[in-house]
Amino acid sequence: MLETAAEIIVTGLILGGAYALIAVGLSLQYGVGRVLNVAHGEFIILAALATWSLYTVFGINPVLSIAIIAPALFALGYVLDRTMFNYLRKTSENDDHFEGRSLLASFGLLFVIQNLMLLTWGALLRGYSFLNTSVTIFGNRYGANRLLALGVSVGVSVIFYLYIKRTRTGKAIRAAAESPDMASTLGVNKKRVMAMCFGLGAGLAGLAGVLYSMMFDVQGSRGIELTVVAIVVVVFGGLGSITGSLIGGFALGLVISLVNWFDPSLSLVAFYLIFILVLLIRPSGIMGRQIHAD
Amino acid sequence: MRFLTVLIALALVAAACVESTEDTTTTTAAPEPVTTQAETPDTTSAPEPLPDPPAEIVIGNPIALSGGNEAGSLLSQVPSYDLWAADVNAAGGIYVAEFDASIPVRIERVDDTSDVGTAVQLTQQMLESGEIDFYFPPWGTAFNFAIAPIVSEFQMPTAGCTVGSSELVENAAEYPYFYTLLNQAPAQAAGLVELLQDVGVTSVAIIHHDDLFGIEFSAAVEPALAEVEIEVAFKETYPLGTADFTQILRGAQDSGADAFLAFSYPPETFPMTGQAIGIEFSPDLFMAAVGVAFPAYRDAFGPAAEGVVGTGVWNPNVDIEDAQGFFDRHVAMHDAEPDRWASAACYATGQVLQQAIEAAGTLDPVKVKEAMDTIEFDTIIGTFSFDNQVNPVYPGQIGQWQDGEFEIISHTADRTAEPIFPKGAWPPPPEE
Amino acid sequence: MLISTLRAEKKERRALIYIVVTIVLLASAPSFISESLVITMITVLMYATLTLSWTMFSGPTRLVSLATAVLFGVGVYVSAVLRGSMPIELIVLIGGALAFILALAIGVLTLRLKGVYFILFTFGVTALVGNATLWWETHVTGTVGRHIEGASNSVVYLLMVIIFSLALLAAFILRNSAAGMALRGIGENQTAAEHIGIHVTRLKVLIFAGTAIFMGATGAVMATRWRYVDPSLAFDPLISFLPVVMAIFGGISRLYGPILGTIVLIVLREFLITEYPYVYLLIFGVTLIGVVLWLPGGLVEQAEKLIFRLKIEWIKLKMRWKRWRTA
Repeated sequence: MLETAAEIIVTGLILGGAYALIAVGLSLQYGVGRVLNVAHGEFIILAALATWSLYTVFGINPVLSIAIIAPALFALGYVLDRTMFNYLRKTSENDDHFEGRSLLASFGLLFVIQNLMLLTWGALLRGYSFLNTSVTIFGNRYGANRLLALGVSVGVSVIFYLYIKRTRTGKAIRAAAESPDMASTLGVNKKRVMAMCFGLGAGLAGLAGVLYSMMFDVQGSRGIELTVVAIVVVVFGGLGSITGSLIGGFALGLVISLVNWFDPSLSLVAFYLIFILVLLIRPSGIMGRQIHAD
Repeated sequence: MRFLTVLIALALVAAACVESTEDTTTTTAAPEPVTTQAETPDTTSAPEPLPDPPAEIVIGNPIALSGGNEAGSLLSQVPSYDLWAADVNAAGGIYVAEFDASIPVRIERVDDTSDVGTAVQLTQQMLESGEIDFYFPPWGTAFNFAIAPIVSEFQMPTAGCTVGSSELVENAAEYPYFYTLLNQAPAQAAGLVELLQDVGVTSVAIIHHDDLFGIEFSAAVEPALAEVEIEVAFKETYPLGTADFTQILRGAQDSGADAFLAFSYPPETFPMTGQAIGIEFSPDLFMAAVGVAFPAYRDAFGPAAEGVVGTGVWNPNVDIEDAQGFFDRHVAMHDAEPDRWASAACYATGQVLQQAIEAAGTLDPVKVKEAMDTIEFDTIIGTFSFDNQVNPVYPGQIGQWQDGEFEIISHTADRTAEPIFPKGAWPPPPEE
Repeated sequence: MLISTLRAEKKERRALIYIVVTIVLLASAPSFISESLVITMITVLMYATLTLSWTMFSGPTRLVSLATAVLFGVGVYVSAVLRGSMPIELIVLIGGALAFILALAIGVLTLRLKGVYFILFTFGVTALVGNATLWWETHVTGTVGRHIEGASNSVVYLLMVIIFSLALLAAFILRNSAAGMALRGIGENQTAAEHIGIHVTRLKVLIFAGTAIFMGATGAVMATRWRYVDPSLAFDPLISFLPVVMAIFGGISRLYGPILGTIVLIVLREFLITEYPYVYLLIFGVTLIGVVLWLPGGLVEQAEKLIFRLKIEWIKLKMRWKRWRTA
């Protein structure tokens, strides 16, 4: 009995850690930049496939690849924001107009990146074996790679939380998230902060991708399901609240782990049901700002 | 001025007429120097001149080249179709008595983008246009399901090699022009249960995806298990597209069952195996359905693939003429091995079409279909006749990787090797 | 409303004539075009109807709905379940009716929320219904794929022409009516619209539900074309995304914009499938980005600019001709 409970909890934390990491990047991009980046999952898969290539072709340890891939994706995100999304910001009449257009543009990005990945890596599932040894915790066996991923998720979450709350740049980001115009009057370089946040979000997607590739097999068309996970977690935690995404990720992971133990077929149904219910009952999520109904 | 124009016009018309007569003489002359293996002696039409044969036999083939299903189609189906076409053309083409000529084949391939609506549309358009002589179906059960009524409506005999559906098989009479070449779940389920009984399994853990294949397979297996008193200690289903099986695998592990059976598709089979290795879940018999029979499985898991059981089966060692030949030519042409299940059936699709055309002596699809119903075929999956449009034979039902080859271990009479049981623990991971 | 439309300005009367001509042409087409083209036309009509219906609501209100797939899918499943037990016309009506009810429910629940939540909710509902249906089919009814008795191409085509024509007329009427104007007002400034006295939520819900009828009806018809359905095919998210792309590409400011966008993109798709199968998503994505960034008004805007410029050239030519003649 206790073993079962322990299994559900540990699995839930592993799952939740993955969710949190996947979601926090998107949360940053929407929270500050107001871009609902539906291509987010594609960035994650791109990072995962790149890790696979680095490992199977060049023998580079996935943990080390983080140092290569996360910055690369940061750069990609930064450039995309400085060019595409900045242009959209300049030429949109108001916030809602921008949100709609950037949503559509990121759709286009989704198709483009996905097709490029399929052309490069083909349609086969790509996986590799890394730290695939078992570790026993409270009587249940877990793959070491998963525990590593959990450790990294927790670590990154804590670091990120402190960064946002304590450092100067972190505070600038929070200010820009609350009110971009007010922030720029106070001397915050709005364009740079936006691009940095988008880049940071992409970089986090990169990190998530590397860890994801350690645990799961990946393939070009699997990005959308990750984007959906990210969106659900972000809404659950509260649109615009970065800490909400972190906490929401772990919470949701525990819930799904419980559902999985009960009946795995229901996990997807449960997932979307929670999503719908949050939107209906408390759209601002666990930690978001209160949303005004129109 | 006007007179000159008319003169020139007449000259052009005359030249065109001359050209066309020249064309016809050349086409009848060309495809001749081939051995005529036809059994039909030319008794009927002695004094009459034979009609002109078409330059080629066009076979329409809408199939997934993008969109997700191409992982399957480009592995098992497209290469086999292409190899067959190359083999036939190397021998001069298909001999058609109606023209007393051997005619080369050409496959007209279009992408259905893994969308059923597109596959249906392309099929209808191809059949409507009259530009194709015959038809090869797309990849996948759902797609074959969708086109079966259409090819029947257009009276185009079609044989499916990547289709597994009891419903389609049982209602074959409703789709008189659709034939099934691949062995189906009931036969495989029977083979599996017989194997389990033979090696002495007493309890099983079953998992399968929430899709037609898994559901049907499970429905065939469970009653059979009950009959031989093998206990189902654990049973769970999971959604298609699940990436993480560790929780469900742990459940199977905790149940302590002797054998683990997963009725899964390749995108599940591969991760499932890796994750089972990760949690050291090593039952005495580890079986997954689709995917194990792929050479990629053996290559991905190396020594860990040894002893893993899966559905199938065809391998180059079966006692069928040209089995090894097919294997070698496939590797030579595609730089890849055929899979150990459907690739052979897809090659047989071409063989069946060819032999039916040769027997019918004509390219008329209706007559070819009549031949299909009656004659005995000699193919690399065996010698057989269709029984209500279903192929009743296949070299093997259940296979196991042993020493780099997927051996047939079901039904003692079919075996190419004795089953390895128990499988033993997973070998340690190759490198770190 | 129709009578006031008939008395309306010359421009609107001309548009109505174009619409009637289009409908007549479509209806009589099978007698003078090839069967193969009819088959393609069925696909075009399907997407044109979905795109047009989507634009009717999401265009003026600027509330991007991603519920197209679930409203379409409902019609597909109605057909799957009822086919054979009643005439197809009735099935189509029921499909439309059920989609209406579902859209009503969605609308009532969420059209009071901020824009982005509506988008997310419509997406979530589609995914939820799709997965719930799959679960139901797997665990309760034990069928996942359903085989549907097909209907002949001419029947499918005719039904699609009827549905499309009704959608086109509805779009026309809405556009030129008070309700349409109110919707545009809501899109521009919802608070102001409220202050004028427009029942914002009620109007949004009604129009959203109304457009859903065409989506459900289309689904019911297309099921007989596909002949095989399962939840992933019926509720495919692409069916939600493509109409959005087609509408934006074509341009939503004019009635014919979405239709133009649909035709161009479907022709493009057919071409790509046969010639460059591996890159068609890429081309689509690039097109979408390009249109969003540089052609926000879509093809329609470009077409109008072109026509405008041509008209000016024509006038200049006429003037020059007159001057030459009188000189």
